[in-house]
Amino acid sequence: MAAPLTSPGRRSRFEQEQDRAVRALIRSVTGLPEEELGDGRFQTALNFAWSNFRFHRFLDVNSHKVERTIEGIHEKLVVHSDLRKAASWKRLTEKFLNSPLPSIEETKTDTHYSILSLLLCLSDSPSNTTYVEKPRDKEVEKEEEFDWGKYLMEGEEIYFGPGVDTPDWSGESEEEEDTQPLSREDSGIQVDRTPLEDQDLNKKTVPNASWKVGEPDARSWLEQHVVPQYWTGRAPRFSHSLHLHSNLAAVWDHQLYTSDPLYVPEERTLVTETQVIRETLWLLSGVKKLFIFQLNDGKVAVRNDIIVTHLTHNCLRSVLEQIAAYGQVVFRLQKFIDEVMGHSPESIMHGTVSTPKKTTEAPFRTYQAFMWALYKYFISFKEELTEIEKCIINKDKTVTLSIVIDKLSPRLAQLKVLHKVFSTGVAEVPPDTRNVVRASHLLNTLYKAILEYDSVGEASEQTVSLLFSLWVETVRPYLQTVDEWIVHGNLFDPAKEFIIQRNKNVPVNHRDFWYATYTLYSVSEKTENEEKMSDNASASSGSDQAPSSRQHTMVSFLKPVLKQIIMAGKSMQLLKNLQCKDGTPQQAASRDAERKSLYTLFLESVQSRLRHGEESVSDTITEQQATKQSLIKMQSIAERHLELDDVHDPLLAINFARLYLEQSDFHEKFTGGDVCVDRSSESVTCQTFELTLRSCLYPHIDKQYLECCGNLMQTLKKDYRLVEYLQAMRNFFLLEAGDTMYDFYTSIFDKIREKETWQNVAFLNVQLQEAVGQRYPEDSARLSISFESVDTAKKKLPVHTLDGLTLSYKVPWPVDIVISLECQKIYNQVFLLLLQIKWAKYSLDVLRFDELVCAAESPQIKEGASLEQGMRPPLGPQSESIKQQIHRMFLLRVKLMHFVNSLHNYIMTRILHSTGLEFQHQVEEAKDLDQLIKIHYRYLSTIHDRCLLREKVSFVKEAIMKVLNLVLMFADRWQAGLRAWKMESIEKMESDFKNCHMFLVTVLNKAVCRGSFPHLESLALSLMAGMEQS
Amino acid sequence: MFKIILYILMAEFPVATRVLFEISRILNTGLDMETLSICVRLCEQGINPEALSSVIKELRKATEALKAAENMTG
Repeated sequence: MAAPLTSPGRRSRFEQEQDRAVRALIRSVTGLPEEELGDGRFQTALNFAWSNFRFHRFLDVNSHKVERTIEGIHEKLVVHSDLRKAASWKRLTEKFLNSPLPSIEETKTDTHYSILSLLLCLSDSPSNTTYVEKPRDKEVEKEEEFDWGKYLMEGEEIYFGPGVDTPDWSGESEEEEDTQPLSREDSGIQVDRTPLEDQDLNKKTVPNASWKVGEPDARSWLEQHVVPQYWTGRAPRFSHSLHLHSNLAAVWDHQLYTSDPLYVPEERTLVTETQVIRETLWLLSGVKKLFIFQLNDGKVAVRNDIIVTHLTHNCLRSVLEQIAAYGQVVFRLQKFIDEVMGHSPESIMHGTVSTPKKTTEAPFRTYQAFMWALYKYFISFKEELTEIEKCIINKDKTVTLSIVIDKLSPRLAQLKVLHKVFSTGVAEVPPDTRNVVRASHLLNTLYKAILEYDSVGEASEQTVSLLFSLWVETVRPYLQTVDEWIVHGNLFDPAKEFIIQRNKNVPVNHRDFWYATYTLYSVSEKTENEEKMSDNASASSGSDQAPSSRQHTMVSFLKPVLKQIIMAGKSMQLLKNLQCKDGTPQQAASRDAERKSLYTLFLESVQSRLRHGEESVSDTITEQQATKQSLIKMQSIAERHLELDDVHDPLLAINFARLYLEQSDFHEKFTGGDVCVDRSSESVTCQTFELTLRSCLYPHIDKQYLECCGNLMQTLKKDYRLVEYLQAMRNFFLLEAGDTMYDFYTSIFDKIREKETWQNVAFLNVQLQEAVGQRYPEDSARLSISFESVDTAKKKLPVHTLDGLTLSYKVPWPVDIVISLECQKIYNQVFLLLLQIKWAKYSLDVLRFDELVCAAESPQIKEGASLEQGMRPPLGPQSESIKQQIHRMFLLRVKLMHFVNSLHNYIMTRILHSTGLEFQHQVEEAKDLDQLIKIHYRYLSTIHDRCLLREKVSFVKEAIMKVLNLVLMFADRWQAGLRAWKMESIEKMESDFKNCHMFLVTVLNKAVCRGSFPHLESLALSLMAGMEQS
Repeated sequence: MFKIILYILMAEFPVATRVLFEISRILNTGLDMETLSICVRLCEQGINPEALSSVIKELRKATEALKAAENMTG
């Protein structure tokens, strides 16, 4: 082995290395073995290489030139549209230039450029080769993971011992080792595969880490940082301070041991306070499997054999038992949440609150909402717990058990309140209670709790705001139901939790709709359930629960507006039904898209009421709201299009799904944000809770109530001619259409006078139609009259001849809600009375003086005497008496006429007309249908009363009827002629009339004097006038 | 032995060597990992890269010629 140019002995170390490298290069490139000296090829190659290295004519590397070439290649790759390669090229070259070399720490040195220049010189049409970086990259990464240091060191350890820092890499020994790396790769993986169990992991990580980290104190580091397994019950090995205070338990034990001869020290598990704190935090965050706290049959108990060094056993236990109580609260609430969510399968088996037949039943939305509110609360609570735990882990601050409890005390107080509300509102309800009772009971409990804490004032601000946020969440389904009902007229309540239920068997377009459609679950409905509940309560615990819950049988927060809600809901449903026929659902849909729901409005009002420098929050919310609205609008429009065209477009469907998603997302954000606002702004207590409700919730309901009831009234009056029908009733039943009805009744009266049969229904109807048809052609078709023969006993009196006449008017739906059959009955009663008076009046009116005179003189005519008008009867006493008789009859007739006319005037003008005017005025001002119905009824009962038809004043009516009867008999006799008369009968009539008249005058005067019936005054006066004359 | 050196290199300076090898692959230089690391060392020792590249090329040519001749004769 001749030296190439200099002898090896004189060569420097650098040159030796260089020489070794060049040899290696030649070996690597040519594959010639160095030992093969025979033909000297290796030597030749070596010489060639050295001469080239030493005596070349190349310039030094120019970094700019290299950069340009790199840029050029990048451009070339881009031009060849090999973009991936171009990107890799750019990235790799930059990375290389910015990373240190084996012997050079700096970056972007000449060496970097020279290496790159070498590669560039060697490059062979890079654009023509296929290059895929990815798989290679991964492979390289995998190699990187391989712990080379450990691998090689391990090998070294076997041969040289751990003390050798830089092993002397002799060629021979390394050649032997060369085979090992391939086989050892498997074992390297095996190390990772084995630790499946926790305990093994702990054992293994210690040596592994110590090797990996390579620090001498790694084991101690681990020992500090890995928690000893106190839960396995092994003896703890941690050391603690020997200070007296931190060994209180031992000192106390010792004290007991010395003072009490019977004291036997128990085997106890020693834990640290940090462990206790962490278990406490875990317990409160809902972890069920713990060491210190143990869960048995839903009860959280503290383990008895736990001890810390610095506290006595009893002290620790008493502290932990407090925590365990809260843990149990958390556990119960968590269980409720799980049950409502439907997570836990065992809820059906032993759940106090579980809804049976969960799969088939519609979701009970109030509980779901309550659960959601609780869930949100727990999320924030757990965040707080996690913060504390982080604090412990970081060891930034001192954390002791008492500090933790102190820090959590507001939360724990809240938990207490929550539990109270939960157990009263949910847990104590017997499982077979109906949903409506449960929902209203829960809402009432929350409401009552808020009121209770609210009255305490500022002391319980936190509690009130917590309860308020809970209540706001829980009330959501209720308000949504209300909203749906009063806006769309659709009472959607699948789980039957709303206090008002729709009776399914009554169709909307039925007469009874207004009265019989909805059932309000109010006091009477609930008493039995409440009793059941109170029974249970008294059986299990004290009975103070029962009366309080009985007070609030209905959802009390809705009580002030319940009437409005019911009215609005019913009106809306009716209105929807009426408008269905008109057919404008599209407009309604688009209008609905712009509308805010009642719940949203409520939240907004609450926010604006509670806002104190939180403008920004609400702004973002309204922004979100706007976006949400636009989304809903788009969706509804698109849906409508789909329905119109009957097209099933999958793309549209996908878009809808996306829209829905966004929407729900928005809503979540919206509500989430809102409740945060609620909780943070404790000013909720500044105003009393009821005031808040009054100003935030009720106005919206009131507004909607006014709107839809107004609409309904408008529709009824305008499109369904309600007022016209009411007028028609007055026209025909109350004879306001005087001329028409005159035509009708006079024809009957004439028939009666002529003693012809008039009871024929056909005749009556023909007369009616003739009379009405001329002036009111529309109504003639609706009107009909019938006659029912009543009992004969009454029939004897002529005044009751007309009894049994019934006028009926077919009122179309929906006006028949107002003008019901019952109303027609009252109308008919008044109608009959009027007919009687009219008949009396008519029969007196048609009497002619000459009739009587003729009748009186007729015998004399027969006797042949000359007949002259106005000539006095010549004959003495007999003619005198006849004259006197005639005169008395004239007088009686006039008296009777006065009476009947007074009565007629009183009823027609003073009663019917003026009351009718009042009624018209009220109808115009009626706000809702119920009010209208009420007004109508009141009107009817007023005229019924004032026409003296009431049972209470039946004696007055009797007297009047007697007089009317007298009138009819009088008229009848008058017509029969004077011969039918006897003086006695005239006298009897006179006295009868006088009695009745007297009686009436006395009674009426008494009533008037008492002032209770001011309207009777005119009648009394006019009758009195009649008396004085007589 | 060289393999082990390479591994050591790889272990200590994985980034530069790996990146360089990737670059070399893109440029289609035909260098393997071992040769590349030798070249890196030579460059670090101040050998002119162009000279080095010409040497490598020449050596490759000569080797191929030799192999062809051996094949012919063999």
